[in-house]
Amino acid sequence: MKRLVRIILAVVVVIAVGVAIFLFKPAPLPDVSEAAAKLPTGQALIDRGEYLTRAADCVACHTTSGGTPYAGGLAFKLPFGTVYSPNITADKETGIGDWSDAEFVRALHQGIDNKGRNLYPAFSYASYARMTTEDALAIKAYLFSLPPVHAEAPKNDLSFPFNQRYVLRFWNLLFVPNGPLPQDEKQSAEWNRGAYLTEAMAHCGECHTPRNLFYALDNSKKFAGAELQGWKAYNISSDKTTGIGSWSDEQLIDYLSKGHAEGRGSATGSMGEAVDYSLRHLTPEDIKAIVTYVKTVPPQTSGDKAIVEAEPPATLKASTAYAPAADAAAQGGLGLKLFQGACASCHGWNGEGLQTPYAALRGSRTVNDPDGTNLIQVILKGAHMTTPLGKQSMPAFANAYSDVEIAALGNYVLAHFGGKQSAITPADVAKARTQ
Amino acid sequence: MIALTVNGEDRSVDVPDDMPLLWVLRDIIGLTGTKFGCGIAQCGACTVQLDGQPVRSCVLPVASVGTRHVTTVEAIGATPSGKKVQQAWLDLEVIQCGYCQSGQIMSASALLERNPDPSDGDIDAAMSGNICRCGTYTRIRAAIKQAAKA
Repeated sequence: MKRLVRIILAVVVVIAVGVAIFLFKPAPLPDVSEAAAKLPTGQALIDRGEYLTRAADCVACHTTSGGTPYAGGLAFKLPFGTVYSPNITADKETGIGDWSDAEFVRALHQGIDNKGRNLYPAFSYASYARMTTEDALAIKAYLFSLPPVHAEAPKNDLSFPFNQRYVLRFWNLLFVPNGPLPQDEKQSAEWNRGAYLTEAMAHCGECHTPRNLFYALDNSKKFAGAELQGWKAYNISSDKTTGIGSWSDEQLIDYLSKGHAEGRGSATGSMGEAVDYSLRHLTPEDIKAIVTYVKTVPPQTSGDKAIVEAEPPATLKASTAYAPAADAAAQGGLGLKLFQGACASCHGWNGEGLQTPYAALRGSRTVNDPDGTNLIQVILKGAHMTTPLGKQSMPAFANAYSDVEIAALGNYVLAHFGGKQSAITPADVAKARTQ
Repeated sequence: MIALTVNGEDRSVDVPDDMPLLWVLRDIIGLTGTKFGCGIAQCGACTVQLDGQPVRSCVLPVASVGTRHVTTVEAIGATPSGKKVQQAWLDLEVIQCGYCQSGQIMSASALLERNPDPSDGDIDAAMSGNICRCGTYTRIRAAIKQAAKA
């Protein structure tokens, strides 16, 4: 009996020591010398790094609204607390100025900082793990070419056990891929380039792929769409109804490179930022490669009701640019009145956009989603983007109209432009204001 | 340099692509009849016409004007509907302080150009984006109807 207890005890101790070693053993550094030797030097390296830094859209997360690029501090509200993006300028005290090349590459590939601590996967290292070491080093060279900014990011505010960073070693073991994205020899060079840009650089899945119980990407539902911080990242799989399967190549290219596609509306929210900061800077060849790849992602039918019918609703067809159908105008209502006063002069009544094509609402998923999720957010927060037609912007209406008014406006817009019955309530608007 | 046609004259202006048309009209060309109100396309004071269609010049990047002809309040009296609107405005003494009125006139003349006999609903749809802090709305409506009959 005593012997059995001893054996059990010994096994428990061995397992505990094993787990402890797994959790607390210092993480080894990768050897980056071979990759470094393949890179150009000087300005050529920095230029390559600048392009890749844009392709990876580092600035979107590592900059606060109106803040210095890459100085960090942007809040990410997660179900278990708030984390803040760190300063990734070359400042030695508050940034990454002291990091070695190997430490930087380890951070991108494994989510481990220069002191060996695990970083939170709000940092999309599960995607950047697919990046080549060469490209990671070029990004570092570019970031280090910028002036260092002294800026301390706020402390993370996470509840137990999520504030225990070492727990993430289990998460990494389960969910972080190892090594760069493998080439698929059966596919074209363009497809492979697109896969690399989409997965390792643009990290589209971090928003557009739903997450599992452990908050890791559920790649069995790749690109099926998800909701985060009060916005929907729509289904971008090749499903013809709920995804982008019915978009033409030209529409996809325009949407990604210009933030607007004829008959599909304009990108707003985080997608607007992704276009503005990242995608519009990519070469036409790279945009085409992304489209080539994304179109081959298997269709995922999602439950999302943001479905654009091929035929525009009757309310839209009966309208001119300057007036809704006569019977609709006679019906009136708060939503119509608000649209008339605040929206019609730019958007027009027929969905084509009056002031600019960027104001065209016809065919946009945002005006076809009965939940009105992104519609309410855009009305509250506005939108802005740098485009080939100059800076385009829509003002934020959060302080201009009440919850009752914005709910009425949202329901009217969904009915008129999408032909959708919706039931946005003032409480929905109040909630959206906090997100 | 950006080429523009303003009130029938060809102009060439040396400005950044994304300068709003309103800035170009007022500060570069010197046509100050068009007013700055809110700067976010919410009040209509800056309304001008591009090929006869009303636009808010305060949020319109000058590079997006292209080959479309710009008409401002300085030249609207030379168009048939603009002439009728301005006469009706005088006859009914529509104007109080006047700040919004060049925008009102540009929207009203564009409305009559495409719809010679507008209903109250048509007037609401076309004019709601032009606001007037003096509250001259009833006179504006009456003047549009009078201009339509003229």
